[in-house]
Amino acid sequence: MQKKGEMFSDLDPILHSQLRLSIVSILMTVEETNFNFIKDATKAAAGNVSIQINKLQEAGYINVKKTFKNNYPNTAVSITEKGRNAFEEYVKNLQKYIHPK
Amino acid sequence: MCHINIFNTENMDEKNFTPEESLSIISKTIEETRKKIQDNGHIMILWGCLIFTVIFSQYMLELLGLHKKFDIVWTCILFPLGAIYTFFYTRRKTKKNNIPKTVLGITIEAMGWVFGLNVLVLATVFNNHIGNALAPVIMILLAMTIIVIGLSIKYKPLTIGGIILNLLAFGTFWVNPAYYGFSLMFGAIVGLIIPGILLNIAKKRGNV
Repeated sequence: MQKKGEMFSDLDPILHSQLRLSIVSILMTVEETNFNFIKDATKAAAGNVSIQINKLQEAGYINVKKTFKNNYPNTAVSITEKGRNAFEEYVKNLQKYIHPK
Repeated sequence: MCHINIFNTENMDEKNFTPEESLSIISKTIEETRKKIQDNGHIMILWGCLIFTVIFSQYMLELLGLHKKFDIVWTCILFPLGAIYTFFYTRRKTKKNNIPKTVLGITIEAMGWVFGLNVLVLATVFNNHIGNALAPVIMILLAMTIIVIGLSIKYKPLTIGGIILNLLAFGTFWVNPAYYGFSLMFGAIVGLIIPGILLNIAKKRGNV
């Protein structure tokens, strides 16, 4: 019998994580946002959000720009073309699992 | 500040969730983010009341015989004040609520400013060319802006208000120019004030 993790092997492992999927879903809706918006929107711990943002950045799915706004650090996050394509592919694969032909 | 409380981050299980759960996360996150970034009807109500007040006061000034002395000053003060307030209100709200940039938000903002600047140029530079048609032309421009915004944010009362305003603008061409102000006042109520109030009510109930 297949294990759950193996069952969805076609699904992008980078996106197949609840928090990373939520972060990318937010970024698909907005042009650009910042770390605090993502943290508030997902209600996840700052450290956890930070780790997942780093993983998404390493995969080339998101752009992260660290600047200062009114003397406070500001982390601007936006989705890349690669990330957008990966998300669309992920949704297509999900639909295949839900509605197999 | 509202939160997208869609999963328990304490028990983050990386891969043990089904495709149905994945789709649910995606749709809920996108829906909640949209709700969070959507503006309320405050600015629409403000501009509806502003147009109504300016036109109504012009009729009152005319009745009192003070029309020539004050109407231009009145218009020249209230509308720029409204524009300044709108600019600082949206800027402050964006900063305070940490609202991210969206293509839709940028488009709606640009449409509002383009409409305002066109009306300003028509009313000041081309006033003599356009003559009495200024009021219905402004109404058509406003109706176009409202319809497009209504369709973009998928909010029917706003789209319907814009369509009514558009029809009202065409009807205005058939009435005596002396009554154009009444069309504008009615247009401000159906196109801006009522949809603005409905938008605020829907936002409070979480329907938009």
